[in-house]
Amino acid sequence: MDKLLHLWEVTGINQMTPGQGVMILIGMLLLYLAIKKNFEPLLLVPIGFGGVLANIPGAGLAEAGGILHIFYTVGIESGAFPLIIFMGVGAMTDFGPLLANPKTLFLGAAAQFGIFATLMGAVVLSHFGIFDFSLADAAAIGIIGGADGPTSIYVASKLAPDLLGAIAVASYSYMALVPLIQPPIMRMFTTEAERKIKMVQQRHVSQREKIVFPLLLLILVAFLLPDAAPLLGMFCFGNLMKECAVVDRLSNTTQNSLINTVTIFLGLAVGSKLSADKFLDFTTLGILVLGMVAFAIGTASGVIMAKVLNKLIKEPINPLIGSAGVSAVPMAARVSNKLGLESDPHNFLLMHAMGPNVAGVIGSAVAAGILINYIGA
Amino acid sequence: MAASNLVSEGFNLMLIGMGFVFIFLTLLVFATTIMSKIITRYEKNVGVLPEEGIPAPTAVISQAMSERQHANDDKNLITVLSAAIHKFRSRDK
Repeated sequence: MDKLLHLWEVTGINQMTPGQGVMILIGMLLLYLAIKKNFEPLLLVPIGFGGVLANIPGAGLAEAGGILHIFYTVGIESGAFPLIIFMGVGAMTDFGPLLANPKTLFLGAAAQFGIFATLMGAVVLSHFGIFDFSLADAAAIGIIGGADGPTSIYVASKLAPDLLGAIAVASYSYMALVPLIQPPIMRMFTTEAERKIKMVQQRHVSQREKIVFPLLLLILVAFLLPDAAPLLGMFCFGNLMKECAVVDRLSNTTQNSLINTVTIFLGLAVGSKLSADKFLDFTTLGILVLGMVAFAIGTASGVIMAKVLNKLIKEPINPLIGSAGVSAVPMAARVSNKLGLESDPHNFLLMHAMGPNVAGVIGSAVAAGILINYIGA
Repeated sequence: MAASNLVSEGFNLMLIGMGFVFIFLTLLVFATTIMSKIITRYEKNVGVLPEEGIPAPTAVISQAMSERQHANDDKNLITVLSAAIHKFRSRDK
């Protein structure tokens, strides 16, 4: 009888706390969104499953010594996984559209305003005692507005590891929601005539320019902002491997098998941060709301910047491509293209929007470097 | 006091951050434009690189034979073998 009682005591049913139950359901919800609704399935499947695993009562997968905890310590606490992913992203990025029209870099810069405005918002909310965010927390929340998963995880792991689960989930969910969040904001800030603006055909960019660009960017980072060097350094390295075309084998591995392998472990490790005591908190709600605000402000400021540029320079710029300044490659660029086609079925903006899109990746990595530098100092 | 300090810190960070992002990307715009001009001028003299990259040196790794080459080789081999067999048989008689 004693043995039977012991067996009952170690079952999940007996040990389950209500919080863990809710978290398992949230994990299942993420899985549902990923599988049924196709929301960033590559990340939400591992994250959701990791979340379920982390909340199995008594198994302790996410506690010290558990396998998910090991993944977390090895890959995220050290900063390795987001950087490896960034290398893969670099190897998949084509800077051609950006090089053809370097002015689109300004759009990528403007869209980063979402990051800093949200940081300000989080700080003000703490001032009024609604939330209790430190400056580091606020910065980590703001970076969600960069709409760049690996950058968000990197910054959060450096500045606010406690909030990492919520920040990563917010960041990837909003990236999946780009096609829903952005269009209303883009329509609100543009007129029908502006949406019909046709852009000049892009010039051809030579292979040499594409090879030199990552090196140029690297030198600029090295001189001006060494704190962004881990992120942008890996990014440039990946890109150089792709463009130089003499190490195709390395470049292919980086773009495919390596990034996929790391994504699996990154997702599971992020999922391990979805433990009931950390996630089921009023703060998480704040992070989700602030993340959304960050995203919306970033989109709006990109569009507004495009309109300003349009006044200043001769070449016409369709303001719709401004919203692509919030990284989220290539989703944001596709949204710009789609809205452009709605107004004029012959106006293809996709290649034009890829410029600000990759500029946004550079911009948010620079912003991340500044945040880490300012708060770490 | 501590809280208002936090707000002013946040404000500072916003100004510095946005300012720096713009300065950095503006420099990048200039650097990129100059780089493109130099390379375009340079390429007028030497021509552009082939799109698929510089041809790989063949001496380093022996390249796998293409399908066509394989087929050709097989055909040759079969011709030679059948000739040899034919000869061998005719000698036996």
